[in-house]
Amino acid sequence: MMQPRRTSPLSPLVQAAPALPAAVLFFIGPGAAIVERSGIPFVVLAVVGALIGYAVFVAVAWLAWWRRTFWIDDDGDLRLDSGLIQRSARRLQLSRLQSVDIVAPFLARLAGLVEVRVEVAGSGDSRIILRYLTRADADALRGLILQVTRAEESDDAPQSQALAQVPAGRLLAGLLLRSVTAGLLLATILLLVVTSLSQGPAGLVLVIITGGLPILSVVTEFLANYDFRVARTREGLRIQRGLLSTQSRTIPPDRVHAVSIVSPLLWRHWGWVRVTVTIAGVQGDEVRPDVLIPVAPRDEALRLLAEVLPDVDVDALPFESAPSRARWRAPLTWRSLACAITPQVIATRSGRMTLRTSIAPHARVQSVRVTQGPWERRFGLATVHADVAPGPVDVAGRHLAEEDVAALAPREVDEMRRARLRG
Amino acid sequence: MDSSADAFAPPVAGWIPVSPRLATARRVTLVLVYVLVIAGGVVLALTPLPVLWLVVYAVAALAAFVWTWWIIGRRVRSFGYAEREGDLLVVSGILVRRLVVVPYGRMQMVDLRAGPIDRWLGISTVQLHTAAATTDAAIPGLLPADAADLRDRLAARGEERTAGL
Repeated sequence: MMQPRRTSPLSPLVQAAPALPAAVLFFIGPGAAIVERSGIPFVVLAVVGALIGYAVFVAVAWLAWWRRTFWIDDDGDLRLDSGLIQRSARRLQLSRLQSVDIVAPFLARLAGLVEVRVEVAGSGDSRIILRYLTRADADALRGLILQVTRAEESDDAPQSQALAQVPAGRLLAGLLLRSVTAGLLLATILLLVVTSLSQGPAGLVLVIITGGLPILSVVTEFLANYDFRVARTREGLRIQRGLLSTQSRTIPPDRVHAVSIVSPLLWRHWGWVRVTVTIAGVQGDEVRPDVLIPVAPRDEALRLLAEVLPDVDVDALPFESAPSRARWRAPLTWRSLACAITPQVIATRSGRMTLRTSIAPHARVQSVRVTQGPWERRFGLATVHADVAPGPVDVAGRHLAEEDVAALAPREVDEMRRARLRG
Repeated sequence: MDSSADAFAPPVAGWIPVSPRLATARRVTLVLVYVLVIAGGVVLALTPLPVLWLVVYAVAALAAFVWTWWIIGRRVRSFGYAEREGDLLVVSGILVRRLVVVPYGRMQMVDLRAGPIDRWLGISTVQLHTAAATTDAAIPGLLPADAADLRDRLAARGEERTAGL
């Protein structure tokens, strides 16, 4: 099917690059003593030291690169042999493929390289990351893997239909107008005004915190979500994003466990929302997408939502709201608190400044939990939780009337059973 | 569960309580913690602080001890579980009440565990795991034979329900 081959010969250079600053640091310590004795300029010493250190790391990485080969065998498994002294032979069953992703980290991108991540269903040893291939090789490998996994299907080119994309201006505006960010920036401006009026340095330390944190988060998220595109492919929704390092990831619809539609106060004027998702199965993966769309007009976001959660009309959920006595427990948010159960999903609503609607299909809910704190009990309130896989979405109908919860919880349990029977 | 106003209403068959030995186990832990608290008091007594401080410390520690001793009993009595046809119910808590419903089909793993004090007193904990980390379904204070039976029953039911997938 494919001859064993190595990753790109430039890989060791990229893999050793993070060692450069470490090498510089290492030579600064002993270096200071040598400078005093020999009179060699410090800069020269640091550069030479860094280069020697880098060369050592490159050599080690090169040996590992030389001993690492991958191929697709005749059984249709992806194989990876590696290890300098201790050899390891790994094998992924491509028939259980979950995703093939091409990611371009910043350093690799400078060398024109990308990494390929192949993931199959199952726990434990279920992922191989190939560092690094040229773009063309990566595309060819991806094509070959997809071809192997659907040998029985005759379609050739993978169709992909663009569904949405986020313009840079809207992304930046959206990030700046998130409730916490906007609040902190406003506080910073006020602090600056007060500080300049009082002509004292008192507020400046605070300004660094109140101004620095939101700016840092805006910049990070802007870089990560720049040029955000969503497309429909045969494997699911394909998400591509990123400025310094581009990420590409497919969300198979059957792995979406819960979604959340978030609308911060300052976005509502434009009718923007953000949609986050909980994807089950992949833990501790830095490219795991938890954002389906970072900022988009509501209609567009709901169309995307329909791709992963069909048969759900978000605007017609039969919400049961919290009673007005819930104001004593949640004075700010009680008006929005609500829970709805339809034949397909359980949905909850919460928040005041930032409104959140969280939805989970019954088939994905793992357990139902009812909790009641002392203050809730005092006012005849209770909270019903639908436990879903770990992720950004929390499905909890908070501070509802206890009699409503007493009816909602068993109903959800019934729906879960029914969803299970439907398969 | 019927749809009466009480969200924590017991199932038809009622709650099965856990062993009162759980209270003993937790009180033993409390006493062990108080060995440290008393040691702290001794250290305090050796420093040249006003006696008043020592009195305040002793009174606060004693009050906390009595209150915790009492609340442990109530907390242990608040635990209950029920095996229904399709799911397991666990109820617990006094200040914050909790009820968890786990359908057998959603169980991924059933754990049986017992710490050193638990083993000494002859009790163990059965814990259910689902794909959700927030599923909080642990039944402590079971007699070892009951716990093993419960675990086997749950595991068998879990397999039964997931077999068709």
